Amino acid sequence: MNKNYPVIVGGGPAGIAAAFELVSNGVNCTLLDESPRVGGVMFRGPYRQGVKLDYLGIKFRHSMEALHAQFASVQNKVDLQLNTRVVGVGSNSRVIALNNDERIKEIPFSEMIITTGCHERSIPFPGWMLPGVSLLGGVQLQIKSGVVKPMGRTVVVGSGPLLLQVSCQLVMSGAEVVGVYEASQFSKLAREFISLSNKPQMILDGVSMLSYLKSKCIPIHYGWGIVRALGKDELNQVMLAPYDQNWFHDLKKSHIVEAETLAVGYGLIPRTQLSQQMGLSHNYNNDGCLTPTIDQWQQSSQRDIYVAGNLTGILGGEAAVLQGRIAALAILRKRKNISKEMAEERREHYKTKLIRVMRFRQGIDRYSFRGPGLLSLPDAATIICRCEHVIRKDIDNAINQGVEDLTSLKMRTRVGMGDCQGAMCVGYCSDRLRQETGRKDVGWITPRFPIDPIPFSAFEVAKELS
Amino acid sequence: MNKKYDVVIVGGGVIGAACAYYLSKCKGLKIALIDSKRSGNASRASAGGLWAIGESVGLGCGVIFSRKSSSINVNEYDPVAAKTITPHILPECFFNLALASNALYPALHEELREVYDVDFKFEETGLKFVMYDEEDRHYAEHIASNISYLSNNLRWLDHNELRDSEPYISHEAIGAIEFLCDHQVNPFRLTDAYIEAARQNGIDIYMNTNVTNVLRVGQRVMGVVTAEKGEISCNTLINAAGSWAADISEWATGIRLPIKPIKGQIVLSEKLPRFLHGCVTTSDCYIVQKDNGEILIGSTTEDVGYDTATSYPEIATLVKGAMRCIPELRHTNVKRCWAGLRPGTPDELPILGLLDGMDGYINACGHFRTGILTSAITGVITQSIVCGEPIPVDITPFLATRFNGVN
Ligand SMILES: Cc1cc2nc3c(=O)[nH]c(=O)nc-3n(C[C@H](O)[C@H](O)[C@H](O)COP(=O)(O)OP(=O)(O)OC[C@H]3O[C@@H](n4cnc5c(N)ncnc54)[C@H](O)[C@@H]3O)c2cc1C
Repeated sequence: MNKNYPVIVGGGPAGIAAAFELVSNGVNCTLLDESPRVGGVMFRGPYRQGVKLDYLGIKFRHSMEALHAQFASVQNKVDLQLNTRVVGVGSNSRVIALNNDERIKEIPFSEMIITTGCHERSIPFPGWMLPGVSLLGGVQLQIKSGVVKPMGRTVVVGSGPLLLQVSCQLVMSGAEVVGVYEASQFSKLAREFISLSNKPQMILDGVSMLSYLKSKCIPIHYGWGIVRALGKDELNQVMLAPYDQNWFHDLKKSHIVEAETLAVGYGLIPRTQLSQQMGLSHNYNNDGCLTPTIDQWQQSSQRDIYVAGNLTGILGGEAAVLQGRIAALAILRKRKNISKEMAEERREHYKTKLIRVMRFRQGIDRYSFRGPGLLSLPDAATIICRCEHVIRKDIDNAINQGVEDLTSLKMRTRVGMGDCQGAMCVGYCSDRLRQETGRKDVGWITPRFPIDPIPFSAFEVAKELS
Repeated sequence: MNKKYDVVIVGGGVIGAACAYYLSKCKGLKIALIDSKRSGNASRASAGGLWAIGESVGLGCGVIFSRKSSSINVNEYDPVAAKTITPHILPECFFNLALASNALYPALHEELREVYDVDFKFEETGLKFVMYDEEDRHYAEHIASNISYLSNNLRWLDHNELRDSEPYISHEAIGAIEFLCDHQVNPFRLTDAYIEAARQNGIDIYMNTNVTNVLRVGQRVMGVVTAEKGEISCNTLINAAGSWAADISEWATGIRLPIKPIKGQIVLSEKLPRFLHGCVTTSDCYIVQKDNGEILIGSTTEDVGYDTATSYPEIATLVKGAMRCIPELRHTNVKRCWAGLRPGTPDELPILGLLDGMDGYINACGHFRTGILTSAITGVITQSIVCGEPIPVDITPFLATRFNGVN
């Protein structure tokens, strides 16, 4: 393990792009990823050999193959550590990681690029914890890993581009999709045409996905969404209703659909646990999520610590690649592996592309802006924090008693004190507090070491590697 | 905006919260509690031990403190005490304060539950000092001989008795000495319970609000300046600002109290079935199982300023110490670690009461490693002073005047 290596945390598109840029310009690096393969949630591909993913479409397959091929071309210069979860920050420029054998190791870095991506926003509604109800990205990961496809009739609810994409992938993989419910109105999408035309190919992709679903007779309902999931021990019905502009549902017009699988996709949240633990400064983005602040080189508030990809705000794979490359350029420039002029020229080149993606994304974000109506879905008894069994009534009580920030809410109700450290409930709790107080900043869950639970026994034989 | 109060309490940790609660029971007082929610707040970080005897004789948080104090030299005001390896026993005045506070909890727990529907999870647990070897036994015997007048509250357990009462404790243990009146609460629930009860009694709460200065005319405090809510006037200011209390005292009186942050790190397990019936301390660490099944292991004492980062070597030491005492832990997970800042004083005693020559200013700070335990009595004392009632314990040893150069 080389102290003089930049360490990239996360082997998704951003991390791979950064590694490629570094190695191609003569800087070897370390790449850490928690899973057994690089590619990130988007392009990890099947864990097993010999699984063909043709049902995900030729285009997807090509992008994935290209990314893996790119990585393969530099892999001999990368100290690749898979199955390695970063759980905290050590002293003297080291991160603390847990490997597959549940051993702790400290990994030194000269610079660091954090590309930890995002996790899904979980939306509580009555029945959301029933077996059969999953988050959309989780369902996608299942089909992408080529192992399982969802059982029985599948309903897809949510908002944004992922909804159509996963619906198509589900159909292509042979799942029975009985309906797709997009919370926003179609007319709202049309209003974003100018922004969206920054990425004409994306519009075409969208149109072709729509017509594909149409050709398969899959109904798409705009301005509709989830009300509740029904079933005793597992899902067997989904109640849906029209949503108004603010996503409040109209119960009188609701209908019930028989289904064994419900995929729920109302957005993504940047995974800031590590960037927060590093002590980087953060801001709230328009979506209400915490994101690390960056300069034009993707550098965080701390020298030599860079951030890229969905961690910095949800912009998708293409932007992640561009940001990863820019971060790598900054390191190359600093180390004088490329000239200042060259670095700046290439950064500008990437920036131009990045700006187009951002404009496109802003259109998407306005289109699928999360309406406050979602917050009205849970009943008094609906569980909000799964780890600590905190129900909506507990949250309401705390707010009525004057609680105004996440730390106080945590102390009063135990939300976010469980194993997941708030990954599940922070979205709802933050939205609620912001809505009730009208404040933009209600705090966020402070992640503690270790980011994921680690066995006591891991400390027994912890080795210091340098 | 200029609001006017009889009493403004600066600091919403367990001490400010307790003062708010006891004062809120006095009819006719207009009270505000102001807290900035600083990271490092000790009350949220604490273990929640009510170890009246244990902490007084240097166990619990104190055991590591006294082992380490020679190297970190926190006790710079008393270099001789810092070098001793024998138990670090606090003066009798502290025992009295601690025991008086301890005695309040059973009734307080009832009262807060019945009247205000808040529960700080008081549990009668006892505290056992688990001994591994003869050195530990000497340590324990030294303690017992020093507090013979409390012998009714002590119990010796041999190896078998210890294993009978705590079957998960290592075979390596040769026995234990138990302090029968030392119990535990959930510390953040206690803080929160005081605050919620005070709120129901009508006090105003300013959360996420920073006091940035104190208004005074001559030797009289007139109010506070806040960054978020402007000026807030008061007749009496209570300084319950924990590790930041020296700032408040300086603004209010011109004198910096000798309080500095002493960092403590904690390790928490995932939720587990009952592993422990009571609280346990060894010469390595203390181990307690909290109301919801998590096992909490503490704690370090580090003189590193306002830093609140957890650090791997310290965490690993605590983890190993806990596994030595409860070997079964190696099959479970560490869920979370954190650090908090104890408001440390040179003689390890809190700073309470009025300051000579100042009007409208009361200290309720410097509670170091026992602020959870002594919060109730601090609330009672502060309330008595504000209302001009007789103070139930002698607070002379805790007045700020005891420090050289102060007053
Ligand atoms: C790891 C650890 C374990 C412990 N275990 C125990 C135990 O088992 N038993 C026990 O009895 N004690 C224990 N303690 C000690 C106990 O936690 C402290 O003595 C006690 O919490 C101190 O309370 P406090 O209210 O004075 O300070 P704090 O809880 O730190 O609160 C002070 C508050 O003042 C606020 N504040 C400061 N300055 C300003 C300002 N200018 N404007 C507005 N607000 C301000 C801060 O934001 C903070 O919230 C432990 C401490 C630690 C760190």
